[in-house]
Amino acid sequence: MSWNSLNKHWEELSFPSFTAGATEEEQQAQSKKALKKQQKEAEKAAKKAEKQAKMASEQQSAEEDDFAKDRYGVSAMVQSQQKLDRELVRVQDLTPEKADQLIWLRARVHTSRAKGKQCFLVLRQQQFNVQALVAVGDRASKQMVKFAANITKESIVDVEAIVRKVEQKIESCSQQDVELHVERIFVISQAEPRLPLQLEDAVRPDGEGEEEGRATVNQDTRLDNRVIDLRTTTSQAVFRLQSGVCQLFRDTLTKKGFVEIQTPKIISAASEGGANVFTVSYFKTSAFLAQSPQLYKQMCICADFDKVFCVGPVFRAEDSNTHRHLTEFVGLDIEMAFNYHYHEVIDSITDTMVQIFKGLRDNFQTEIQTVNKQFPSEPFKFLEPTLRLEYTEAVAMLREAGVEMGDEDDLSTPNEKLLGRLVKEKYDTDFYVLDKYPLAVRPFYTMPDPSNPKYSNSYDMFMRGEEILSGAQRVHDAQLLTERAIHHQIDLEKIKAYIDSFRYGAPPHGGGGIGLERVCMLYLGLHNVRQTSMFPRDPKRLTP
Amino acid sequence: MALRELSSLEKYLGQKKANKYSTQGDKKVPVLQNNNGPPLVGLVTIACHLAKEAKRPELLGDTAESRAVVQQWLEYRVTKLDSCTKEDIKTVLKDLNLYLQDKVYLAGNQFTLADVFVYYGIHPVIVDLAIQDREQYVNVTRWFDHIQRYPGVRHHLPPVAVLRNRIYTSRHH
Repeated sequence: MSWNSLNKHWEELSFPSFTAGATEEEQQAQSKKALKKQQKEAEKAAKKAEKQAKMASEQQSAEEDDFAKDRYGVSAMVQSQQKLDRELVRVQDLTPEKADQLIWLRARVHTSRAKGKQCFLVLRQQQFNVQALVAVGDRASKQMVKFAANITKESIVDVEAIVRKVEQKIESCSQQDVELHVERIFVISQAEPRLPLQLEDAVRPDGEGEEEGRATVNQDTRLDNRVIDLRTTTSQAVFRLQSGVCQLFRDTLTKKGFVEIQTPKIISAASEGGANVFTVSYFKTSAFLAQSPQLYKQMCICADFDKVFCVGPVFRAEDSNTHRHLTEFVGLDIEMAFNYHYHEVIDSITDTMVQIFKGLRDNFQTEIQTVNKQFPSEPFKFLEPTLRLEYTEAVAMLREAGVEMGDEDDLSTPNEKLLGRLVKEKYDTDFYVLDKYPLAVRPFYTMPDPSNPKYSNSYDMFMRGEEILSGAQRVHDAQLLTERAIHHQIDLEKIKAYIDSFRYGAPPHGGGGIGLERVCMLYLGLHNVRQTSMFPRDPKRLTP
Repeated sequence: MALRELSSLEKYLGQKKANKYSTQGDKKVPVLQNNNGPPLVGLVTIACHLAKEAKRPELLGDTAESRAVVQQWLEYRVTKLDSCTKEDIKTVLKDLNLYLQDKVYLAGNQFTLADVFVYYGIHPVIVDLAIQDREQYVNVTRWFDHIQRYPGVRHHLPPVAVLRNRIYTSRHH
């Protein structure tokens, strides 16, 4: 609007009325102010009218030109309104074999980028992603391309597209040989525009983040927004591998004739000692959360189940804030009766572990490589048969390296790690057994060594220099058990039921237990057990 | 500490009779009362004197250049190493590691007092160093192991175990 026409407009305005008491000058001032105000308002109104007219004309042209209006949009919430007989193809199955086929799929929008008349989308499904293209043409309109570019990240979309082969491999996607040319795209579930963390940042290796000055996501942020963090390719790989560990554990033991049992987690007396146990209120009294299925595994052996295993939660109220402690973790426990020597038990356990390692190596390479992309590490090495060293040998190796320790001292964590390096250097294995621990550092139910009372028939197993299993031949004689309990100053009343189970014939037996999260962490060469626990629990974390 | 070093040096030099030392000041600087003149003060001064008395001048360097280098290292030992803080230690080890990259001994191409006294001075540091760090400063460890095994040097100090092979790979942290 021109200045002249504005002036004219102003002249046509009516002046407001004044009160009688004001002076001539005041009146004049007031009227000028009022005039200015009205002038401004008139300007505003004029501009608004202009804008509206423009928008109206644009919209009209938009509506006129949008021939693809039915081929995109936000769908109504899926409330099971209809049963569509439509097959949805998995992203991992998008290979050159499907070239030129028209397919439907449902995936998340990983990224969307508009470039002139085209919009490039990366559609993601778990560990797999594929490039998709919406281009202005006879199938897609400008408005459709704009819509696609504005879909928020992580939104779930249904896409109908033609699969096309590409000449140049698309390096940034898992499906490198094909690209989707989108015919129809509908948003099934929209994600809020501001994500608490960006997935690209969450999979960026720490080193790369520092070098290029790009963001990485710290552990606390990940754990606070676990649902989104678990969507990353690395997390998907880690937990699929963990599922594999459980599966291989069960399958290997079942083949060996073991029976899976379930043990109670609410118990009346602390099994491993009173210090690290959670108390729960139990009606009018209190009870404890089981620190291990130890006592019940053994009672099953006395009940003639011969060889048992159980997979279940273990609760340790240890106020340890370390990289390898959780207050709740999944315990994989084994217990078996043996014929004449507890080495039969060790052999069974090490064979199970080796089968697990082989199974992971042979069937989960994709997952291992995916994790290594973000967290590089050396591949896990093991020997067949498993290396078994005696405690005295280990002490000698440590002394040779300059460590000072007594014959009956327990191994501190730094010494365990050093021993791990020495064993790796000497024998080239990341997995080994340490046999014949000193009796003084083991629990009361450990069977003493028959030829040397200072030592015991007990063993620990290590992966990459960190302890993963503690086991032993158990005392199966009620009298000896009572003596050992008294020696350890344990209240006999509290363990009466346990001791009683050995009074009516008990076979010699032994076993051990591993922590699922720790085994996964060490197999993959990760450095914090929270990375292998889906919703970890530690002294500072109770949610999510 | 300084007195024990001097007594070890005497033993190495094959000196028949041990000298009597006194100390001065709160830093306990050793003093040797000499019959032939003014008293000798300071670890370095006394050590050089003992070497000359024992007719082992090669321990102080056989060329003018190596003699200067020996003196420089002895000075370094007394001024820098003895009053080293924890933060400085890393720098000292790094510098020493770089210096020893292409040398068997600290001065010239032979065993001198420089090696003896820097070894005595750096012994407590190496004892406390983790194996992983010893592997990081590989040249220092190599030189240290060589000197501590030199016949007659290591009298008053316990040996430090040095492993034959590396147990930490470059990727380890």
